[in-house]
Amino acid sequence: MEHLTQLFLNHALSTILILPVVAAIVIAFLPSKEPICRVLALIFSLDILLNVLVIIFSKFDPNLTAFQYVESYQWFGDVIRFKLATDGLSISVVLLMAILLPVVIIASEPIAKEKPKLYYSMLMVVTTSVLGVFLAQDLFLFFLFWELELVPMYFLIAIWGGPNRNYAAMKFLIYTFIAGACMFAAVLLLFFSSGANTFDMEVLARYAKSLPHVFQLACFILFFLCFIIKLPSFPFHTWLPDAHVEAPTPVSMLLAGILLKMGGYGIYRICVGFFPNILVELGLWITILAVVNIVGAAIASLVQDDMKRVIAYSSVSHMGFVLLGVVSMTAAGFSGGIFQMFSHGLISAALFMLVGTLYERTHTRQITDYGGMAKYMPKCFYMFILGAMANLALPALSGFVGESLVFYGAFTSKYFANFPTALHFNFGQICVLLSSLSVVLTAGYMLWLLQRVFMGPENTKWSKLTDLRLSEMVVLSSLFILVIVWGVYPASLSCLYEPSSTALLTQIVSLVKIL
Amino acid sequence: MIDQILKYSWLIALVPLLSALLIILFFNFSRKISAFLSIGAVAYGLIHSLYVLFAIYTNPEKHIELNLPWINAGTFKLFVGYLVDPLCAMMLVVVCSVSFFVQVYTHGYMKDDPGYSRFYAYLSLFTFSMLGLVFSTNLFQSYIFWELVGVCSYLLIGFWWYKPTAAYACTKAFLVNRIGDAGLLIGLLMLYFSTQGFWQDKTTLAFGELKNAIDFATNSHILPIVGIVSVTTIALFVLMGPMAKSAQFPLHVWLPDAMEGPTPISALIHAATMVAAGVYLIARCYPLYIAAPVAMNIVAWIGGITAIFSATIALSQYDIKRTLAYSTCSQLGYMVMALGLGAYSAGLFHLMTHAFFKAMLFLCSGSVIIGCHHEQDMRHMGGLRKYMPITATTCLIGVLAISGFPFMSGFWSKDMILASAWEHNKPLFIVGSVTALLTAFYMFRLYFMTFHGSYRGHAHPHETTPAITIPLILLAILSIFIGLIGSPLIKGGDKFSAFISYGEHHAHHEWGFNVFLKELMTIQGLIPLCAFVVGTLVAWLVYQKGLPINKFIQNNLKPIYNLSFNKWYVDEVYFWILNKIILPAYSVGWKFIDKVVVDGIFVNGSALVVSFVGGKLRYIETGRGQLYVVVIFGSVLFALLFLLTRLK
Repeated sequence: MEHLTQLFLNHALSTILILPVVAAIVIAFLPSKEPICRVLALIFSLDILLNVLVIIFSKFDPNLTAFQYVESYQWFGDVIRFKLATDGLSISVVLLMAILLPVVIIASEPIAKEKPKLYYSMLMVVTTSVLGVFLAQDLFLFFLFWELELVPMYFLIAIWGGPNRNYAAMKFLIYTFIAGACMFAAVLLLFFSSGANTFDMEVLARYAKSLPHVFQLACFILFFLCFIIKLPSFPFHTWLPDAHVEAPTPVSMLLAGILLKMGGYGIYRICVGFFPNILVELGLWITILAVVNIVGAAIASLVQDDMKRVIAYSSVSHMGFVLLGVVSMTAAGFSGGIFQMFSHGLISAALFMLVGTLYERTHTRQITDYGGMAKYMPKCFYMFILGAMANLALPALSGFVGESLVFYGAFTSKYFANFPTALHFNFGQICVLLSSLSVVLTAGYMLWLLQRVFMGPENTKWSKLTDLRLSEMVVLSSLFILVIVWGVYPASLSCLYEPSSTALLTQIVSLVKIL
Repeated sequence: MIDQILKYSWLIALVPLLSALLIILFFNFSRKISAFLSIGAVAYGLIHSLYVLFAIYTNPEKHIELNLPWINAGTFKLFVGYLVDPLCAMMLVVVCSVSFFVQVYTHGYMKDDPGYSRFYAYLSLFTFSMLGLVFSTNLFQSYIFWELVGVCSYLLIGFWWYKPTAAYACTKAFLVNRIGDAGLLIGLLMLYFSTQGFWQDKTTLAFGELKNAIDFATNSHILPIVGIVSVTTIALFVLMGPMAKSAQFPLHVWLPDAMEGPTPISALIHAATMVAAGVYLIARCYPLYIAAPVAMNIVAWIGGITAIFSATIALSQYDIKRTLAYSTCSQLGYMVMALGLGAYSAGLFHLMTHAFFKAMLFLCSGSVIIGCHHEQDMRHMGGLRKYMPITATTCLIGVLAISGFPFMSGFWSKDMILASAWEHNKPLFIVGSVTALLTAFYMFRLYFMTFHGSYRGHAHPHETTPAITIPLILLAILSIFIGLIGSPLIKGGDKFSAFISYGEHHAHHEWGFNVFLKELMTIQGLIPLCAFVVGTLVAWLVYQKGLPINKFIQNNLKPIYNLSFNKWYVDEVYFWILNKIILPAYSVGWKFIDKVVVDGIFVNGSALVVSFVGGKLRYIETGRGQLYVVVIFGSVLFALLFLLTRLK
């Protein structure tokens, strides 16, 4: 027994990577009945969650900022290795994925009636690739997993999507493919220019900082382009509303919940970890980008007439806080950015679920088709209030923590203090003042949506609708319980990643002179 | 014993939260259990808070402050905790007692509503949030609960969501409050930024340390008093929060609409407690305002303008609840003005007395509305004194209290404010006195139109049940006598200012009836009294004796009347800006940037370029090997030549 435990702990990360693959293969041999596939997928996903929890609670030490659970195998000689490891930063996004997966599987019930085997297998392949991105410590492996995610996602949208799914899936494919091409170029450039003769990310991170400036700049820009396409950020964000509108509900949940976080994670791990000098150099541009995202997307949300587009643009707006947090280069900003990724993962998944439940019943996403839905779907109404409040960053719900940390971090940033303006505020502070507009705008679009869909005189067309089913309640309440728990006591989550993010910051501060 | 009571005072806030959770999760099926849990929780809170008040009153040195870390990132730390001091103890009693009376009243008012249990759950949740705000040790924690009371208010205004007006009102209330919150947030950020060196080993933004923090920042020349980033601007940004919450001009627009909610809510949230939270926050941040005289002046003027502005609107409203709502704005204006004038204890004293008599007035209006079968228009009331004697009597007491009838609670607190206005700012004294006159007029107008004359409606009015009348009677008794604690009539003089003060000068060291007469027989004592008499007299002449002044103004001075009747068109202007400028601009902006620039030029444009280039390039693919060889050879040659030039 002792031996077995040890064996598991030594191969914990590869276990959680391989489990979804095994699940995908097993599902492929099952009879083509949706409930059977779903239950099996659910069992596997719960097992993954359990494994992640075991990893966190057994040997993982958040205060140790070095990589833990390191596994390194020869693959293509010594150059490309199958190296997995985790630290506070990556384990928290892995945890998010592990939490979302079972939830998404439960939510898949109405979608997966058609071709259930393929659907759940695809879902499992997505899981592997996402977990792989978060766990890989070899740049080539990182790239492979990054690209692998594209294939199942394309099919998930193109097969189970809405009427205009082919356009949306193709748009998603092209954008992500361009992102992948950028990354591939950057990976090769970094590999050849560093002369390290290895793809090991720890080693490359050391080499990257001493590269000639022009190489660093080129690599940074290519990587950064790749990540902000995924994040997404202006002006590469238009794939997201299209993809969300056409994607089936669970895929939207997955997309907003975890796939966007790959971009955020990449920025933390590579843009910040490898090229802090360039980050400092281009910081102002990134700040402007962040503000354009935060405020611009909130404005765009306000004028949408399709429910799913409102939520999709709100994702863009909220992910802007991640950018602002990173570029503020303060402990609070870093921590807030990660918290924001986490809480946005939960909240946007819940909101997409809610919109999906309405769409499933009415087959329309036009806001004007609704009205007074609270009468027919009271549970959905209360859940939607909770979701809207979480999304507009109500204190005591998790959205507030990330945003306020980012605000405090960016406003007090020493880095921004290097850019004074004539207005007595420094550049970053002006950006924060502008982004605080989103406090009002977010409330505006969420509550206006709530008012138009659920309140007022009811549309009798929908009088036959049924309220939320048990499975939907399970999905929503499990997400909201976490939103509330981490909103009321955020230290319970932040303790997991805080030492790593602070260590990352200290490392930058020691390297960059003006901080 | 006293230590234990103070140490566990956080239970006062926590028990209502527990009751809210229990009702939401388990007991929403049973009306009896929900009401019992919710009323029981606040009854416990009331008893405990009375003990706390007693303990703090007898041992003023026993302040309790306890902080727990909430989150930290590097050196940045945030805390939540609880603080018990005289101001907190006073607010605890006010909140718990009003909440208790309102919850008992709710049982009578909402007994036929299908959402009865839900209503109690929201009430408990609100009580928790409000008490949490009162207990806050630091500005950041205040911000948390500040928003939580806002969301409770949202839920309760929209309680009858199926009414389009209610749906609209709750969204509007939350949004206007969010504007204030954004300002408050900026204020907090600026304050923290300017004083961050100070908070190293202290509770971040703690109220108790605020004075030292500002002294630290101003003395070390980090923060000037006046300027773009200065104590003044911080104070003004922080003021935006209270302006929205306490419905001060120009962010007052949400409060009258908030009357779409059930009447108990109007009494509890939109008259007695939550709207007073703004005043409370200004009081808590007083060091900030003391340090910035300009900001202090602006506070006073905003209060004064709101007081007279809302009073002019209240003159011509016909909806009984809207009249009271504008009166609430006006009275809140008095409080804010008092704080701006440096009359710290006077402002808070008015907060307390107003909480009781205004809550009662709203409950009276609710009783009238129920008695007249959901009629809110005063033109369809009249003569109700015969049908509803208890409601009429209590309402008269409330009207007398608010308009400043001698020896009633409002008289003492309003006099204190006007006396200090006389001392510090004569123009504001005039504003305050005119407001007092208008207040007496519109309150008696309300009373006469509702309870005197003959009944003009078509329903069969009746007195309401004891669950409604008993809270009215108890609140009426409080409204009469609560003011005495701040009067020179009781032994030892003004107890209230002695208990709650911010180092200002006390006028009331002496006591006795002679002192009172001496103070009354001054200009600043007589003018408010005259204002009361004149206002009442005019109302009596117009609405009892039929003197056609109101008709005259309506017919011959139409523009002025319309201005008052249409609330100075503030709503219309805001709405026009929102609907005609902001939303269309957003819509066009989004369409242009996303659809034309990004998707049109950027995405489809690059696709066009690719297909164009590809289309042209395909002519190169001729299939003739020779050409390919030439091209390949040429490129290699070119590459080699290029490399040669780079060789050194």
